[in-house]
Amino acid sequence: MTSIGTGYDLSNSVFSPDGRNFQVEYAVKAVENGGTAVGIRCKDGVVLAVEKIISSKLLKPGANKRIATVDRHIGIVSAGLIPDGRHFVSRARDEASSWRNVYKGPIPVSALSNRLGSYVQAYTLYSSVRPFGVSAIIGGWDSEAELAVDGQVGNGPNAGSGGKVEGAKAGGPGLYMIEPSGLYWGYYGAATGKGRQAAKAELEKLDLSAGNLSLLDGVKEAARIIYVAHEDSKDKDFELEMTWISTLDGPTHGRHEAVPRELLEEAERAAKAALEGDDEEDDATKGDAVDSERMQE
Amino acid sequence: MFRNNYDNDAVTFSPQGRIFQVEYAQEAVKQGSVVVGLVNKTHTVLVGLKRNAEELSSYQKKIIEIDSHMGIAIAGLASDARVLSNFMKQQSLGSRLTYGRPLPVDRIVSQIGDRAQTNTQHYGKRPYGVGLLVAGVDDAGPHLFEFQPSGMTQEMLACAIGARSQMARTYLERNLEKIAGSTRDELIIHGLQALKETLSQDKELTVDNTSVGVVGLAAEGKIESFKLYEGQLLVPLLDALERSEAGEETKEAETMEVDS
Amino acid sequence: MNHFPEAWGRPRDDVYGPYNSSYLQTTGPKGHTQSPAVTGTTVLGVKFNGGVVLAADSLASYGSLARFTDVKRLRKFGDTAVVGFSGDISDMQYIDRLLDSIDVRENYSANGNTLNARNIHTYLSKVLYKRRSEFNPLWNHILVAGFDDDKKPFLSSADLLGTTFSAPHLATGFGAHLAIPILRRLFPEEKPLEDISKDEAVAALRECVKVLWYRDARSLDQYSIAVISAQGIEFQEDQQVEAQSWAFAETIKGYGAQVN
Repeated sequence: MTSIGTGYDLSNSVFSPDGRNFQVEYAVKAVENGGTAVGIRCKDGVVLAVEKIISSKLLKPGANKRIATVDRHIGIVSAGLIPDGRHFVSRARDEASSWRNVYKGPIPVSALSNRLGSYVQAYTLYSSVRPFGVSAIIGGWDSEAELAVDGQVGNGPNAGSGGKVEGAKAGGPGLYMIEPSGLYWGYYGAATGKGRQAAKAELEKLDLSAGNLSLLDGVKEAARIIYVAHEDSKDKDFELEMTWISTLDGPTHGRHEAVPRELLEEAERAAKAALEGDDEEDDATKGDAVDSERMQE
Repeated sequence: MFRNNYDNDAVTFSPQGRIFQVEYAQEAVKQGSVVVGLVNKTHTVLVGLKRNAEELSSYQKKIIEIDSHMGIAIAGLASDARVLSNFMKQQSLGSRLTYGRPLPVDRIVSQIGDRAQTNTQHYGKRPYGVGLLVAGVDDAGPHLFEFQPSGMTQEMLACAIGARSQMARTYLERNLEKIAGSTRDELIIHGLQALKETLSQDKELTVDNTSVGVVGLAAEGKIESFKLYEGQLLVPLLDALERSEAGEETKEAETMEVDS
Repeated sequence: MNHFPEAWGRPRDDVYGPYNSSYLQTTGPKGHTQSPAVTGTTVLGVKFNGGVVLAADSLASYGSLARFTDVKRLRKFGDTAVVGFSGDISDMQYIDRLLDSIDVRENYSANGNTLNARNIHTYLSKVLYKRRSEFNPLWNHILVAGFDDDKKPFLSSADLLGTTFSAPHLATGFGAHLAIPILRRLFPEEKPLEDISKDEAVAALRECVKVLWYRDARSLDQYSIAVISAQGIEFQEDQQVEAQSWAFAETIKGYGAQVN
């Protein structure tokens, strides 16, 4: 790497002569080693999934959740340094809570992402801190119905306050990804971590921008994509963790929750079946080429 | 001469995205004497090997009660562990005072995790040089958590940290199923057995160098308070260990006879 | 030339009084709420076999003015507890938001909200006591209903001073005078909780609400009832006091225009 030995990469917040902040780039390296995480924005909700590599047999199965809830309606999954991810989530919760203190209602996903983007960016500005070693995917559902203000006690006269646009659409799914630089974009499908290239390729096939994918199909796709992304590190066992947020009349009532176990297992079975199907196709078409690859292994 | 420039502080990433100061702090944990933790369906047990600086000095404390439903075992810098354990005691007491509820174990663990993480992201601080095993019970049952200087915390079925702890981990991995299905007393024996695996040839477990902590669920969802076994209290436990080892040996002897 | 400041323009003490030097201080005494503004009246609560019932009317008064008639004073916490508020409505909203933020926090972890009614009561009494000790009380008297650590029905009160009180049936405000005697007659001390059915408890509270509507000038004939049992919380809102009869009013002597 050209950066090494120039001295411009030893401190955060320092530009190199060609305008780069190497410490941020190194932080990205930490992300690229983490388990794959994906988020899919569906028409009636958002699904988050993460590949948890099982580093030891002694770990308690099913514990050690990696997707965190912020407020009630937002989930965050990150790839990279796990303790940094926890710090990030802790800040997100503080932001959501302070938003409630001011506005007496849940924070919109876009506003939370904006605030967290600023927070992460601040950690690239000073030599006294290091950037976050995580890329975080933020998924949530902004209520499509008009919510009561926190602490509201009644409804008052039915006349209403007026000034409302009839039939205006509000709320909906939100999906954002924040990088160690503080840069963030909104996504239809987001992927980060070790298997992000394979995952992105799969996400692009889904034509998510058309807005036709249902949440239930999204859950299955997310599981499949994590399995596909895991192909490159097949020798390691992993656990799949998935959460989702639906519309108010959907399965989670606008809350961020773990995908129920039956559905998760069903999605995993489908994912495994899809992978095996692919393998068979490959075997049939490639034939000898596959055999020679196996020899190399 | 080659010198690693990326390991001077905890706020510098190496080009590979590593933080060497944190990794060095993990080494401090390996310098400490070994502690073992394990869980079954009702109890969590901590077992530790105590070291004394010299023949006539006292032994270093390895297991600390945090509250009646929780205790920790430490490996590494004991003074750092004291900072963390004092914090845990305060938080635990705070929960009892404000809500009249014992603090759920996963909460306090993530709180110390967050504290440790802060030390790895801000200049002028250093990572904690201690690893912890946190044992406790709450509404969700018995728990065992591992805490590392990086701020990483993980819930485990069984765990060992400190010098020569690999031997204990191997034992635990081999006996995971037995441990899961064990009774309270068997769980303690598995803990002692795992600890014994780490000892060098000339050493053995004595009432002076061993420490055992037990916490769990008693009948009807009540909590069996954290109890520390040290000194003479250990005699029955070490005896039980000896008996179980003798039992294993006779079993082996019997099977050998059958074979011949 | 004299050196008296008055001669140089200082207001004379004998004309204007001595200068009040307290105006020079940047930190003066701080005004706190010394009386409630918009208030709710009685909250009632009764324990029965397997749960607790709470009732409160829907009125918020501004002094003697019936200002808001659609105010829900029974507030749900989680899936197992309800808090009933009398006293200042805005302070109730503040406390309700405190409880909401706790509920959000409690649900971060996978094992969910484990705070029961007893925990909430402990917490709220600490909040109320802290605020009264700052001479800035939260002007409420609350009832907390739900279950305790042993899953037994729980009903307890806390007031603006932080005083706590517990009994099988409770009433705040005017109800303490009017409803408690009725409840004591219906559910005497020697009658065990197991003999009180849910329907009896609900009927008793409906009767009390009616009496309060007759005799408490700050009450309303629209009310809410919450039944907390092992099955969950059952809210009945927008209830109406049925079968009203004001015939008794004619027999009241000593008020108004009657002569004898």
